[in-house]
Amino acid sequence: MVRRLALQGLGLVLVLGMLFGSSAQAQVQPIELAQLQAIRRDGALTLEFAVRIALPKAVEDALQHGVPVYFVAEAELLRSRWYWRDERVARVARHWRIAYQPLTSTWRVGLGGLNQTYPSLADALAVVSRSAGWKIADLPQLDPDSRYYLEFSYRLDTTQLPSPMQIGLGGQADWAIGVERVLRIDREP
Amino acid sequence: MSKSARWAWIVSLVAATGAALVLAFVLSFSTAGGGFYERHFVWLFWINVAVAALLLLVIGLAALRLAVRMRRGKFGSRLLIKLAGIFAVVGLLPGLVIYTVSYQFVSRSIEAWFDVKVAGALDAGLALGKTTLDALVADVNAKTRIAAERLADSRDGPAPLTLERLREQLGARDVTLIGANGQVLAMAGGISATPPERPGPLLLRQARLTGVASQVEGLDEEAIATGDTMATRVRALARLPNSDLHLSPADDRFLMVVQPVPRVVAVNALAVQAAYSEYQQRALARDSLGRMYIGTLTLALILSVFGSVLLAIVLGNQLARPLLLLADGVRQVAAGDLKPKPVFASTDELGGLTRSFAEMTAQLADAKLQVERGVAQLEGARTRLQTILDTLTAGVIVFDREGRIDTVNPGATRILRLPLAAWRGRTLSELPELEAFAASVDQRYELLATSPEAGERDHWQDAFELGRGDGNTLTLLVRGAPLPGEQRLMVFDDITEVVSAQRSAAWAEVARRLAHEIKNPLTPIQLSAERLQFKLENKLEGSDQALLLRSVATIVNQVHAMQRLVNEFRDYARLPAAQMKPLDLNALAAEVLALYGQAHDRGQLDARLAPALPRIMGDATQLRQVIHNLVQNALDAVADRPDGHVELGTSAARGEHGELRAVRLTVLDNGPGFPDKVLKRAFEPYVTTKAKGTGLGLAVVKKIADEHGARLRAANVHEGEQPDAPVTGARVSLSFSTFAPGPAAPNAEEHPEPQDLHAGPAPATGDATQVH
Repeated sequence: MVRRLALQGLGLVLVLGMLFGSSAQAQVQPIELAQLQAIRRDGALTLEFAVRIALPKAVEDALQHGVPVYFVAEAELLRSRWYWRDERVARVARHWRIAYQPLTSTWRVGLGGLNQTYPSLADALAVVSRSAGWKIADLPQLDPDSRYYLEFSYRLDTTQLPSPMQIGLGGQADWAIGVERVLRIDREP
Repeated sequence: MSKSARWAWIVSLVAATGAALVLAFVLSFSTAGGGFYERHFVWLFWINVAVAALLLLVIGLAALRLAVRMRRGKFGSRLLIKLAGIFAVVGLLPGLVIYTVSYQFVSRSIEAWFDVKVAGALDAGLALGKTTLDALVADVNAKTRIAAERLADSRDGPAPLTLERLREQLGARDVTLIGANGQVLAMAGGISATPPERPGPLLLRQARLTGVASQVEGLDEEAIATGDTMATRVRALARLPNSDLHLSPADDRFLMVVQPVPRVVAVNALAVQAAYSEYQQRALARDSLGRMYIGTLTLALILSVFGSVLLAIVLGNQLARPLLLLADGVRQVAAGDLKPKPVFASTDELGGLTRSFAEMTAQLADAKLQVERGVAQLEGARTRLQTILDTLTAGVIVFDREGRIDTVNPGATRILRLPLAAWRGRTLSELPELEAFAASVDQRYELLATSPEAGERDHWQDAFELGRGDGNTLTLLVRGAPLPGEQRLMVFDDITEVVSAQRSAAWAEVARRLAHEIKNPLTPIQLSAERLQFKLENKLEGSDQALLLRSVATIVNQVHAMQRLVNEFRDYARLPAAQMKPLDLNALAAEVLALYGQAHDRGQLDARLAPALPRIMGDATQLRQVIHNLVQNALDAVADRPDGHVELGTSAARGEHGELRAVRLTVLDNGPGFPDKVLKRAFEPYVTTKAKGTGLGLAVVKKIADEHGARLRAANVHEGEQPDAPVTGARVSLSFSTFAPGPAAPNAEEHPEPQDLHAGPAPATGDATQVH
């Protein structure tokens, strides 16, 4: 009896594992980095980037149903140190919120406290997918003799989703979209 | 606690922790604050799966071990399996029930959340709000277009006054005239003095294309939250129709009307939108929610079931261990192994049971040891008793209650000369030789039982004469006593020799008295007879004289004979106490032999004396008489034969290691030997077959030998030393074992033989006794 029970339990575990583990099919990257560059301007190191976003079907569905979706761009400036962990010089992040307004059939994009309304999703995505003159750090902060590099990531922030939706998202590639890139900062000429 | 048990406890602890994690996870849904568990659900899930797999492995191993033990027939595995099964079922059934109920409950309640009616109502509400807003916008649109046409037709042109009038007509907040690029040309109304917002380029472009365009602004929570009644508004833009021909887009003018949306409408619409959005989110998360609940439940079930099975095995082990210990001990005890038993160290009843069992085993072992010791002692005592019985010269016979012979010792066999040991289990009376004896013994026992004599409380004693087949008579002193259990003990001794000795003593006394009584009148009788002869010899003549002489001679002769007889009696009865002195037996023998020179010369008597004989302690006078008696006896025995021959010999008997044992004197003849009947009693007085003998010769020898502590033996010599062969003679031997102290060299003693030979008194009565 014990053995049969144990076998059933094993089967159950396998089934569950398949349910939760069905993921990771190779497909076209939903988010691609089109442009990323760091520019020294007006005494500050600024970042300019642009991504191409092709939202997966599930995400678009969720958006159409009024679920707000967040995108986050993070940049981390690090100083290389051969003798220790690399030092983090600066860290900045931008959060965008895209939400559909069914009443007016418009798309609202929020960046910080600023809200803006757009008539279509493409317009809204175009707004969130680029940024220019994003200040990372002041130039005097940087040591001219050191090597710096920038870790940049742009992704869909699933942690901001409503909590019931987060469950089960862990294994779903549709929601785990994002792009990461490391950018070496050239020394000052 | 054994190593495996500790291990099992650790594993179950881990399992319990996993289950607790799952529980906390489930509980976190009731508290809305969470978020952590939602994020780490997958991670938690896999941890739980890992724990479950570990448990499964442990259980599998335990089950495998149990199965192997059971197949090997190891003791107690069935009990263990039974206990584990019971515990597992006890743990499993409630878990299954709870799981089933919870599963149904969760899936049903999740389904219940998503009602089609609710979804429809929300859609409808949203559509309603949308329609209301659209109607509002359309109304403002229409009004704006009419107002724009009217403004274009008016002659006054767009004077501020006209605008103000328009605003009042429309009931709008602001009415503004805007140029082609969106610049404000004129405006009316407005609560604040601030310039009105310019329309967005999108709206402007649309208005230029279609003539009129509008949009809703400020329809969001933030705008409503400000409390401004004008926060939500409809902005409509209409192109002023231009009748002039010189048309250029740069000359286009627009009328912009901004009218507030009623606050109630805006709030309600927003509420509907929020609810709709929320509902859509829930619907999207519905599957994953269900999956999460069911998965969590299933995992909890698996963990609890595995945990319960594991606990069942562990607890079963715990419970069964003392029982197994006990059962094992019982089996060992049954097999006879009484070694100290292990004790289960716990304070409960099972531990007490094992302790009691160990004590019991120890007591058993003690008892067994005592019994063994007792048996050994008993065996020793029995062996000892048997040894005593076997070496006892007295005969011992034990009869059982039916009077059958139960125990016989070798002494009894020896005394009775009957194979009594072979007669065990039969009554004494079944032996033909002992029938009479048995009857008297029985009678004696009966007598003891019915009317015991004085001083005979617990045993009886009697002497029996037992006639034997060969004519001899055994005198037995028999003692009988009843034993417990109606057994009877009979102890008897051969007192034939004792009786013989008593008889000798009695005879000696009789002889002494008789001699005394008879000797006294003899001399007067002889003297009287001689006096008669002296007085009457001359007075009588002829035949009378002859008669007298003859009669007197007869009287004198007879008196002499009687005197001799009486002297012999006296000698026997009144032997003086022996004067023990060192002496040489060879010298003594030679001295005596000198008296028999005649016989020596005839070749009838020889001496064979061993040289260098040790000196012995003895009375020379008495020993001289002994030798004399023996030699005379032997010569008498061979007197009738022409080839008669007597040999007197001395020798030294030595032990195995050459040590001196005895000095032996032997007289050997080739006469007819002793008759069997006489042989036993040859040394008793008055045992003789000769008409002339008094029968005292050998009796005297015996008496003297006794005084010297010497052993006297008489035996017949058979032809070729075969016991059944015809008798060819007799041998009498005397062994002395009392030696003189000091060196045993005969030469050292100043005792010249010739002197002694002549000095020694001649025995007067040497030929008087002869046993034959």
